[in-house]
Parts: sequence; C-alpha cells; structure tokens
Amino acid sequence: MQQSNTYIIIFTLIMTIFFGTLLSFTRMQLGPIQKVQVEIDTKKKILGAVMDISSLSPDEILSLYSKKMTSMVLDISGNEVLSSDGKLLIAEEVNIQKNYKIYKDDRKYPVFMFSEDGNSVDYYIFPMFGNGLWDWISGFVALDKDLNKVIGVAFDHKAETPGLGARISSDEIQDRYKGKEIFDIEGNLVSIKMLKKEKNPALSIHEVDGMSGATITANGLNDMMKNYLNCYLPFILKNKKLDETLISYNE
Amino acid sequence: MSEVKEKEVVKVKKSEALFSKRRRNILIDPLDDNNPVTIQVLGICSALAVTIKLEPTIVMSLSVVFVMIFSSLLTSLVRDYIPTRVRIIVQLAIIASLVTLVSEFLKAFNYEMFKVLGAFVGLIITNCIILGRLEAYAMGNKPYDSVLDALGSSVGYAWIILAVAFFRELLGSGSILGYKVFEMIGWSSFPTNGLFVDSIGAFIILGLIIWVQRSRNGYVEN
Amino acid sequence: MNEIINLIIKSAFMDNMVFAYFLGMCSFLAVSKKVSTANGLGLAVIFVLTCTAPLNWLIQQNILNEGALSWIGPEFATVDLTFLQLLMFIAVIASFVQLVEMIIEKFSPALYGSLGIFLPLIAVNCSILGGSLFMVQRDFNLQEATAFGFGSGFGFYLAIIALAAIREKLKYSHVPDGLKGLGITMLLTGLMGLAFKTFIGMTL
Repeated sequence: MQQSNTYIIIFTLIMTIFFGTLLSFTRMQLGPIQKVQVEIDTKKKILGAVMDISSLSPDEILSLYSKKMTSMVLDISGNEVLSSDGKLLIAEEVNIQKNYKIYKDDRKYPVFMFSEDGNSVDYYIFPMFGNGLWDWISGFVALDKDLNKVIGVAFDHKAETPGLGARISSDEIQDRYKGKEIFDIEGNLVSIKMLKKEKNPALSIHEVDGMSGATITANGLNDMMKNYLNCYLPFILKNKKLDETLISYNE
Repeated sequence: MSEVKEKEVVKVKKSEALFSKRRRNILIDPLDDNNPVTIQVLGICSALAVTIKLEPTIVMSLSVVFVMIFSSLLTSLVRDYIPTRVRIIVQLAIIASLVTLVSEFLKAFNYEMFKVLGAFVGLIITNCIILGRLEAYAMGNKPYDSVLDALGSSVGYAWIILAVAFFRELLGSGSILGYKVFEMIGWSSFPTNGLFVDSIGAFIILGLIIWVQRSRNGYVEN
Repeated sequence: MNEIINLIIKSAFMDNMVFAYFLGMCSFLAVSKKVSTANGLGLAVIFVLTCTAPLNWLIQQNILNEGALSWIGPEFATVDLTFLQLLMFIAVIASFVQLVEMIIEKFSPALYGSLGIFLPLIAVNCSILGGSLFMVQRDFNLQEATAFGFGSGFGFYLAIIALAAIREKLKYSHVPDGLKGLGITMLLTGLMGLAFKTFIGMTL
C-alpha cells in the first residue's frame, strides 16, 4: 500500500522523537556511570606503573589514587600550564593520543606524582605514546624521586600481534625495565633500549632484553621512550636540580 | 471498532500451542539446515573480527541476540504502520537505536569489553542477518513468531562465531576463556600458531566449519 | 603529502577492509561470481566510501562531539551528542546512497545501468559504516578521513575483483560437494589475506 507524503513525514517524525528521547534518556542515566568507568580506567593505568593493582576493586583504586596521587600539566619547556582556551586543564583528562598528533612543541604533557606520605614526591609517572607494528602503543613510565631509576612501566597497545609484540603489556616484559636508569654517569639522557633478541648476555643498565619476532614493536617502544623522555627533559632536569639543592640545604 | 474486536477473537481461537511443531521449526531451522551464516551467507561481516578470543565473542553474540529479538519484536508490532517507501530507513533506525543502547550499557557496565569491541558493536547495525530477517520475516508476521524466528537466527549465528572463536583462541593463544589449558595438562611448550590470531585463521576455520556442516546435512551450492 | 599517500596504501593493502577487518564480507561473497558485476560494486563502494567518510567526519566534528555545538552559542558548549553517532552515520549513508542513486538515474542512464543496481546494496555494506566508525576511532583530520575512505574503498575494489577472477576460473575445477560455493570461497579469502599480509611494513 502506498501512503501519502504527509503520513510518511508524520511517521518519521514520531519515530525520530521516540528514539531520540529513548537514547537521550539512556545517556542521561548512564552518562555519569560511564564517566566514572573512564576515570577508573585511566587511574588504573597510572597506578599500574608503580604497583600491582590487580587485586584492588575499582573503589579502592579511586580512593588510593585520590590519597596518593597529584598531577599537573606541562608544556614543552617543563612549565606548568593551568588552562588552555579558557578551560581548566586536568592532567587525567589530557588525551595523549590527540596530543601525539600535533607538533611536539605545542603538546600538553601531563605528569603524575605518587607520594606515600602526602608530602614529598616518591615517584614521577610520565605518560607516553607512539607507534608499534600495527597501530598505536602507549605507556606510563614511573621514575624514582631522583628521576633516573625506573620504578615500573605499564605499556598498552591497540593491535600488536598476540604472542609477539603484544607481550609488551605482560608483566614478564615490563618487569625487565625495573631498576634500569635513563641517565648515564655524565648526566646525559640515554633512555632505555630494548635489544633485538632474548637472553642477551651482559645487559647494561640502559638495556633490556628484547622480544624475538617483534623487533618492529620493540623499535617503536624505544622510539616512544626516547621521544617522550626528551620532551619531559626540561621538567626532569628542573626537578633533579631542585632535589639536589634541597639536599644541600638540609645538610 | 466492533469489527476489529471480532477479528481478534477469531485470531485467538485459531491460535496454536506456544511451541507447536511449526513454531519449533521456526526456531530450530536456522540452527542447522538453514543457518544464516553457513547456508545463507549472511552476517559474516561484523562479527568475525572479534572472534580472536572467546570472551568478547560471547558478549558480541549476546548483543546480537538482544538486538535481533527486540528489533524483530518492534518491527513486527508496528509492521502495519510502517510506510513502505521508507521501510528500510525505519528498520535501520530501529536497529541503530537498539545497538546504541547496547553500546551505552556496555560502556557503563563493562568498560574493558567496550574497549575491546570498539567500533564492532556499532557494526552490528550492518549485520545483514538482522536487516534480512526484519525485511523477510518480521515485516509480515506476528510478533511472537517473529521473536522466535529472531531467536533462532541469532542463536544460529552465535554458535557459529562461538565455534570459530573457540578454535582461534585454542590454537592461536593456547587458552580457553583466558585459561591456559595446555599448561594445565602439563604441555607448557604447546606451539601456538599466530595465523589463527590473524584474520586469515578465521577465514580458514570458518571455511572448514562450513565444509563439515554441509557434508553432514548434504547441502550443495551450485 | 607523503603521509596521505602512505595512509592510502596502508588502508588499501595492510588494513584491507575485507582481509583485516572482515568488513563488507556479505557483498564481497555474494557479488563476486563474475568480474563484471564485481567491478560495478567495487567502483560504487570506492565512490560512496570516499564521500561518506568526510561527510560523517564533518558531522562528528561539528555536531556530535562534546562541545562541538559551541558554534551555535556558548550555552551549547557542554552538549555531548556522541550517543547519536550510530543513528546519524547510518542515516547519512542511507540517504547519501539514495540521493546518488536518484541523481545517476536522472542524468546518466548508462551509468545507472551498470552501477545503479549496486547502490541500494551498499547502504548495508559494513565497510561503509565501518569506514566512518574507524575514522572517528583513529582521530583522523578531514584530509586523512577522505584519504582513508578512498584507500579503504580501493582495497575493497582490489579484493573483490581478484576474488571474482579466481572464482571464474574455479568453475573448471573439481571441488568437493560440501566445499562448493561458500566453503571454498572462505578458504580462498584466507589465502588471499595471507598474500596481502606481505605488504606489511611497506611505506613510501
């Protein structure tokens, strides 16, 4: 049966209003829950770089985070940025992936600080982003308060090959970074390099074992670390110095 | 008004048992002899990509079953009012709204899964099985029958992708639902095959499943 | 410019819609029996993908994203309409396809004869909606979105033409009964996918 145009228009209108209302209502109800989920997800990743959080419930993660973590947003020269385009910047909400696409001098660099007693900073956590073999890889690298030794790392990836490149998100690979240092004795930034093969004899303090069959992912990882540590370098140097003066002052 | 009532009464009198033979056939037919994936070649698009692991596949199957049943029900309820000329758009709108619901709920209550499934939840919209069943069945049949048909087709679809996912996870990652089964039985050096993690493995496994199934039920395509 | 070309190569070969993401499989399998029809569908997919990807990009950026409506007025700055994404995208695709069909029918009956019948099929081709959704997920800008749309469409075109050519030859082979049709096509697709994998790492 062929209906008139008026009927079709009225039918479409009613349908649009019905589904529009239904969907907006759902979003209104679920929106806050989703926001919390996204927040938990980010905070889990940040905390994951400094401790094992697999046994913690989402609520514990949120309360732990609010107790022990502080954060700020930096520009390329290591200065704190409070707002952009009239909007207050929140470090946890800075999208690293979006920032990665713009020129490095214009990016926003969030830094997260972990403090056991709530006064002095124990660990600094730096988010980073880069390209693996198939798609993006990302990471959070935690340094100690001297900003040299790695406390822990948490890598994530979108689509690396399971069993090969995807191993970067496993504890086995991430544990290899613990205790490594990013500065050499003369104070030059050398970052940490993942080598080509597994079970290399005599690794230096700046090298970790590689993953056989995933050299491109490993190279991506090395590039990402080097790039971002260089971007954070002004901040790192500033805070290193600050610590030294503090020490001499205390003496 | 009274006429309409009389009609309804007649219909009720004619109504059959809740699970009559005909209705059982509506439900069971798509599981094997008329399977939407292996026989009718529909709906291969959106879901194979999530079959690397069993867990996301289960979520995907449930989502498809949900969308399918409710879109059939809705379409069937308003089937006499849908203008013929815009019916495809109307059906797509019904499906898209339901899929959005699924995606919103997933984001709120299982964010991990939402991240894994990503854009593929949205792609349920273009799963040809759903639109195909709406157009071929729900547009012309009563709600209850349509729901049965939807349930049959979506379960027929679900078991195929679950089977694919089972083999892909077993051979590609050496695990089932994340449990390392080979290590548990003491075969820790089980050689996992990266091919099955890749899309290629899915094509090949699906091809073999089709072969086995068609040899069994004797269906030959010309 | 190099980046754009690389993106086209990547989306056509390495991230091929059919072989890497299983998108557009239905029409890929159903319309690949003859090279001539496969050609028609492939061209239609290239065209529609290249147009709908930037179209949906504009909608996403100017209407759907959180704060995207601020061009109307500052009071709209916090409106977040992303939950309408699926509905909007599918509506845009379906109406665009309808529109193109009508235009072609009116102005070029010859083209309509060869391409027209495939257009309605395309509204439910997952690779079109998939293209739009991936483009949002990967944070492309307008140029990249267009290039991605074109590259993906081209990849689909290559895939379906190649498969159709193989299936035409396959008619003369002896295939076991159970494998005839879909079964052997699936295995073939797997092998073709394996061949496309060799493009990994190729850049300009």
